[in-house]
Amino acid sequence: MDRKRVNGPELSVVPVEEHTEEKQILDSKERRLDGRGIDDIRPIFMKSGLISQANGSTYMEFGNAKVVCAVYGPRQMKKPSFTGKGVLNCEIKFATFSCKKRRAFQRDAQEKEFSQILVQALTPAVRLDLLPKSSIDVYVNVLENDGTSSTLAAAISAASVALADAGIEMYDQVAASSIAYVQNKILMDPSALEEESEDGSLVVSYMPSLNEITHILQNGNTESAIANKAVEQCIDACSKIYSVMSTVLLQSLDTSDK
Amino acid sequence: MPYLSQAERDYITEGVQSDLRADGRGRLDYRALVLETGIISQANGSARVRLGDGTDVLVGVKVEIDQVEPDADNVGKVVCNVECSPSASQQFEGHGADDLNNELTQALQRVLGGPQCGINFEKLCIIKGQQCWIVYIDAMILDYSGNVLDTIFMATKAALFNTRIPKTQIQDLGDGEFEFEVLDDVEDAERLDGIENIPIGVTLNKIGTGHIIDASPLEELCTEAKLTIAVNKDSQICGIQKGAEGGIEPGLMSEMIQTAKRIGQSLIQQLDQKLQDEEQQVDEKRLNGENIEKLGFFAMV
Repeated sequence: MDRKRVNGPELSVVPVEEHTEEKQILDSKERRLDGRGIDDIRPIFMKSGLISQANGSTYMEFGNAKVVCAVYGPRQMKKPSFTGKGVLNCEIKFATFSCKKRRAFQRDAQEKEFSQILVQALTPAVRLDLLPKSSIDVYVNVLENDGTSSTLAAAISAASVALADAGIEMYDQVAASSIAYVQNKILMDPSALEEESEDGSLVVSYMPSLNEITHILQNGNTESAIANKAVEQCIDACSKIYSVMSTVLLQSLDTSDK
Repeated sequence: MPYLSQAERDYITEGVQSDLRADGRGRLDYRALVLETGIISQANGSARVRLGDGTDVLVGVKVEIDQVEPDADNVGKVVCNVECSPSASQQFEGHGADDLNNELTQALQRVLGGPQCGINFEKLCIIKGQQCWIVYIDAMILDYSGNVLDTIFMATKAALFNTRIPKTQIQDLGDGEFEFEVLDDVEDAERLDGIENIPIGVTLNKIGTGHIIDASPLEELCTEAKLTIAVNKDSQICGIQKGAEGGIEPGLMSEMIQTAKRIGQSLIQQLDQKLQDEEQQVDEKRLNGENIEKLGFFAMV
């Protein structure tokens, strides 16, 4: 025995672990933990034009998920070079305190990927052909993450409203929604808690007036029939979110007139 | 980034419309590919795929022992990384390939990092709550001629087929303590459990109103939107990701998913068959004491 150190007691017992009951995502009536049905999306709050310095901005709450988006531009590109079309730059950053695990200040691989997804989801809607030699910068800040896929969807919708708020010409608004596959069921707009027990997820961004999907990202394995159904459900939800987005834009016009 | 003139763009788009492409292929024809496994002796598994006359991907698999994650203490994991070698293209020099590397890495990790990968992650755990195997999949793009992601998926499936994990022997020290030993004998090494379920990716490029598979670099430049769909041998969908900067109508998208499923199935079947044939040949030669000759890098047939 090592006498130089403080040794532990000779006899020790295994700590008693409190038996935690596994939380059921769905109850017998197919109600979720927060009382929603499986097809319901969480309430949305959205307001545009809150950041005074930006050309366009939005703040969005999607359940507990909170996202701020600011758009700067169209402005001259930082590195002067000729491009026939404008360039859309997107940057998404999760605040260090936004997730269960602390995020680093530096952008990690997921944030870089989400930034790329944001560019791919928004580009089909923006008329970049009208803005040669200029760039549009979209900065998204996630203050609180309540389900990574639904937060990504919120970021896309918020960025779209912010672009419109900045007065940038677009073909249509891009609305995005997400689902989770849980025990062969499709849960609309999953929260962080529901995401922990998901088998897979799907994020769809969609332009309702043009009937065009601008981005799709699926994770986890499913039968293609279920995947098709999930895409349809996402498209329906996107149309609902779209009406909120339009209302917000109309409201912002009302206040700016006064 | 090379530019495409309007004339070239029209030529490709109209070609796709009439089901004829610049190299004589139809819309849904794949280029011929060269596949070889077990070409890197330092790795636990490796494979090289050369697609057509250009795209060359090398995948090396290394397994290492590490501590388990505290919130998942009975499983091992798979970590993917993709790197575009600057030798493949001028535009990959310096930080030029960062975005592409990240996109490809995340796409591969999303499909192979979760249960849809098919590998039995629990078998990768050596002692519950203590140590597990981590499978590092590193893909390197040595030459670029379009359709890299599909090539990476194929090379990865081949490399994992080729991977052997050393056997471990666990000793019970009593009091709930365990210790293990890694057996050095190569003959004892085991194949990963569940490799037959590993999905592959099929990328469809939407050009005009048609869609094509296995796009060449020029075709990729005029792609409006691309859709990568991961499918496994049971024709389940293991991942969908849209790329490039255009939209897709929902009707066309479900058509594309069906196409990808059909093509993915036949690709998996052919790939599995070839891998088994190759392994059989190597085993036979080894038994007879013959020299096993490999094609080596950059070889074309």
